Amino acid sequence: MSHAPQTEKHEKEENVTAQDLAKEFREHSVAEFFKKNKQMLGLSGKTKALTTIIHEYVTNSLDACENANILPDIEVQIKELADEHYEVTSTDNGPGLTQQTVGKAFGQLLAGTKFHRLMQMRGQQGIGAAGCTMLSQMTTGKEVKIITGNAKEVFSCDVSIDTKYNQPKVSNVQPLTKKFKGTAVKAQFKEMKYVNNEQGPLEYLRRTAIGNPHAKITFTDPAGQTIVFERTAKKIPEKPEEVQPHPKGVTVDELLNMAKSTPSRKTNSFLKTELDRMGDTALKEIQEKVSFDLNKDPHQLSWQEIEELIKAFKGVNFIAPRTDVLRPIGEEQVDKSLRSIVEPEFLSVVTRKPSVREGGFPFQVETAVAYGGKAGRRVGEEMRMEIMRFANRVPLLFDTGGCGITEAIKTVDWKRYGIKDAETAPVTVFVNLISVHIPYTGAGKQAVSNDEDIVEEIRLALMDAGRRTARYIIGKEREKLKQEKKRIYMKYAVEVAIALGELIEKEPKPIEHKLLDIVAKRLKIDEQQEKALEAESDADLEKELARLNKQEKETKAGKGKKKAAEDDNGGDE
Amino acid sequence: MVDTKTKDKEVIKKLETLGQTLVQQINKGDNPTMELPVRSLGNIFFDQKTRTIKLGDKTSERQFLNIAHTRKFMQTTLVANEIKKVIQQNATVSIRDLYYALKHTIEGTQENTFEDQAESDPLIEDIEASLNLLREELHLAASAKGIIAGDMVVQDGKDVIDLAKMGSGGWSVPSNVEEDRIEIKKMKADYVLFIEKDAVWRRFNEDKFWEKQNCIIITGRGQAARGERRFVQRLSREHKLPVYALMDADPWGMYIYSVIKQGSISLSYSEEKLATPDTKYIGLTVGDVEKFKIPKEVTIKLNQLDIKRLDELKSYEWFKRKEWQNEFNLMKEKNIKMELEALSKKGIRFITEEYLPKKIKNEDFLP
Repeated sequence: MSHAPQTEKHEKEENVTAQDLAKEFREHSVAEFFKKNKQMLGLSGKTKALTTIIHEYVTNSLDACENANILPDIEVQIKELADEHYEVTSTDNGPGLTQQTVGKAFGQLLAGTKFHRLMQMRGQQGIGAAGCTMLSQMTTGKEVKIITGNAKEVFSCDVSIDTKYNQPKVSNVQPLTKKFKGTAVKAQFKEMKYVNNEQGPLEYLRRTAIGNPHAKITFTDPAGQTIVFERTAKKIPEKPEEVQPHPKGVTVDELLNMAKSTPSRKTNSFLKTELDRMGDTALKEIQEKVSFDLNKDPHQLSWQEIEELIKAFKGVNFIAPRTDVLRPIGEEQVDKSLRSIVEPEFLSVVTRKPSVREGGFPFQVETAVAYGGKAGRRVGEEMRMEIMRFANRVPLLFDTGGCGITEAIKTVDWKRYGIKDAETAPVTVFVNLISVHIPYTGAGKQAVSNDEDIVEEIRLALMDAGRRTARYIIGKEREKLKQEKKRIYMKYAVEVAIALGELIEKEPKPIEHKLLDIVAKRLKIDEQQEKALEAESDADLEKELARLNKQEKETKAGKGKKKAAEDDNGGDE
Repeated sequence: MVDTKTKDKEVIKKLETLGQTLVQQINKGDNPTMELPVRSLGNIFFDQKTRTIKLGDKTSERQFLNIAHTRKFMQTTLVANEIKKVIQQNATVSIRDLYYALKHTIEGTQENTFEDQAESDPLIEDIEASLNLLREELHLAASAKGIIAGDMVVQDGKDVIDLAKMGSGGWSVPSNVEEDRIEIKKMKADYVLFIEKDAVWRRFNEDKFWEKQNCIIITGRGQAARGERRFVQRLSREHKLPVYALMDADPWGMYIYSVIKQGSISLSYSEEKLATPDTKYIGLTVGDVEKFKIPKEVTIKLNQLDIKRLDELKSYEWFKRKEWQNEFNLMKEKNIKMELEALSKKGIRFITEEYLPKKIKNEDFLP
C-alpha cells in the first residue's frame, strides 16, 4: 500500500480535469439540446406544455415552502394575450430569493438538480423553472419577470438565459418598498393552447390540491374565473429522509461511481458507511467470497472487483431496507381533501404499510375509492371512471394507458364490489405511490412501470377499499329494496282486504290493519336477518350483491306484467 | 237476489272457505298463503286407465309476503271474489268480461289491478284446479270458436237446431255444452271428423262431405276450445262414434290432435271431462307423400322452431307409441312438413273423394 498516496493524487488530478471537461461540455450543450428535444422534456404538445409549465412553478413553490416550514399559499393565473399566446403568473408565500439565488433558480438549467438521490422527492417532470424561462425566451424573445421578497429585501428583476454558456442573465433589478414575502414569476409563452380537460392546468391544480392538502391553491383561468382549492390540513408534511442504497439493489455502475468519490480509504469502511444495512457480520461473509482484501482502497477497485462484490451481496441475508423514510399524505388528510374537492357520496381511503420492491427500494401506496355524488368524470353526456394517479404527491396526467397504476386499477374486478360497468361508473379512484425511487417508464415521468410488487400493493389496497364500498352499496341497496317492498305490500294490502272482506262478507278495514301489521313485522325480521349475515369476504359480498340484485329483479317482475304461462293454452281462449 | 241452485251454493261455499282460510291466517298474524297445484309439464302424468293427461299432486305456495308473489296473490283474491259475485247474480260471463270487471286503478297509484287478460286467465285456472271445479261450474265461458255441421239435431235451451240445415256457416259450438244446456235429440252420423283448419272445414261443408260420408264435421279453427272438445267427447261417449282427426302434417297439427285425444298441460286438472281418448289420427302424415304420390314441391322444409317442437313432442309420454315415434323420425329424416291445402295439388276434390275414403276404408290411422 506504499504507492497508494501517489496513485491517489495522480488519479485525483485526472478526475478533476475530466469532470471539469464533462461539466463544461454538458452545460454548453444543454441549451442546444433543450432546443432540439422539447418533447422529451414534456414541453411538446400545445396543451401539455402549458400544464408542464404550471407544474414546474407550483412544484418549486411547494418545495420551497415546505423547506422553510411554511403552509403553502399558491396563486396561479393564466391570461390569454392573443391566440396561442399566454401570460402565466405564479405567486407563492415561500421564503423568497436573494439577488444571488434568483438567477440560479430561474436562469440556469439543471442547477440544483441532484440525480440518483434515494429520497422521496416531487422531482421535476420537465426541466425546472429555468426550462420555462428558456421556453419563454424561445417562443416570445422575452425575459421572465420576478418579484421576490425575503426576510431582508423585496425586489423585482428580469431573468433570461445565456443559452451558449447556460448562464443566468439577471437585469433590471429594482428594490421595492412594498411588503412581500415569497416569489412571483410572470412569463409569456407562445405556441400553446389552454384547454380545460383531464390534462389541462385546472385539472392539474385540482389534483395537486388533493395530493397536497396542506396547500391552498388559487387559480384564475383565461376566462377570468377564479377557483380556490382550500387547505384541508394544517400540518406541513415532515421532511422525507434520504436512504443509502441497499446492497441488494445497487448496480455495478452505481457502486463503482460511489467508490470513486468516497472519502473512505478502505473498501470495508466504504461499504459499511455508504450502503444501507451493511454490518461487520455481512462484511465477514463477503470477505470469504471475494478474491481481494476488503482493506483495499476503494478508489482502486476495478469493474471486475465491483462485480465480485455485487455477486457476494446476493448470498448475504441483509435486513430489509428502512421503510420509515417515507412520508405518506395520511389517511385522514386524503379523506378530508377528497371529500372537499371530489365531493363523493361515499369514500373509503386505504393506505398500505410500507413495502420494499425488487432492488431494495422502499415504497408505499395510498389509495381511495370515491363513489357516487360528484365522483367520476363527466365526458359530454357520459360518466367515466376517473383515475387519479400520483407519484410522490405529484399528479400524473399523461401516458395513462401505459402506467402500472392504471394497470392495477383495471385488473381489479370491480363487479365483485357492486360497481357494475366500472369504466362508466360514477367512481373516482385515487392512487398515490410514494417511494425513494419511482420507476418511471420514460423521461417525461408521466407513467410508472408495471412493477409486480407495486401493482400488487395497489391492487390489495383497492380491493380493500372496494370491499368497503361494496358494504356501503349493500346497505344502500337493502334500504332501497326495503322501501320498495314496503310500498308494494302496502298498495296491494288494501286490494286484498277489500276482496277478502267481500268474499267472506266481513268489514275490510280490520283485515287491512292486520295485514299491515304483518308487513311491518316481516320487514323488521328481514332487517334483523340482514344484519346477522354481515358480509366480510369477497365471496360473501358477491353473494349478497347477487341476492339483492335478484330480489330487485323479482320486485320489478312482481309489480309488472307476468310472463307467458305455458306453451299451450289447452283451447282456453 | 236470484235463487241459486245446489251446485252454485256448493261452489260459493268453496270460494268462501278459500277466503276464510286466508283471513284466519291474517288474524293469527301469519303470512297469508294459498296452496295451489303446479300446472306445468313437471307435474302432469299420462293416466293409462283413463288414457288422459292428469294433474300430479305437486303444489306450490303463493304468499302475500313474497315480493315475487304479492301482485298475483292480490289478483287471485280479486278473481275469487268476482267469480262469487257472478254466480250470485246467476249470470255467465266470458273470461274476457271477468278481466274487464276486475280491472281498476289501485288507489294512490297509476297501476292497474290487471294490465291484460293474460294476467287473469291463468288465475281462473288456478282456482279451478285448486278447488277442483270446472270452468262451467264457475259460470265462466271461453269465447266460442268451433263450428260444426252434420246429420244431427240438438236442443239448446228452447231452440231445436238441425245441424244439417246450417248452410255454409255451420253451427257455432257454445262454450258450455253440458247435458243440462245442450241435449242431443237425433244422431244419424257414422263418425266424427275433426278438422284442424277453418278453410278446409268450409271446403268440406261446401262439398257436403258430411252428407256423402254420413259423418259430422267439426273444426276448432286452430287449437280446439273447451266447447268443441267437450262436445266431441259426448259424441264419442254417448253415441259411440269413432272420432278421426285431420291435421297438417307438422308438430303443431299433431299437438292439437293430442290435446283433443288426451288433453293439454294447462287444463290437465279437468281432462277427464274434456279429452276423447278414442280419437284416431287420420292424416296428414309424412308417409302420405309416398303413399299418395304427392309432388315434393308442395312440401315445406322444417324450420328451427319446428324441429325444436318436434323434439318436445317426441319426449311426451303420450306420444311414446312406436307408430308416432316412427312418424316423428321420418319427418325429421325427410325434413319436411305439409299443409292440408297441399293436397289440392292433386285436384280440388282429391282430399274428399280419394284420400279420406281410402284412409278410412284401409283403417290407415296413427293411434
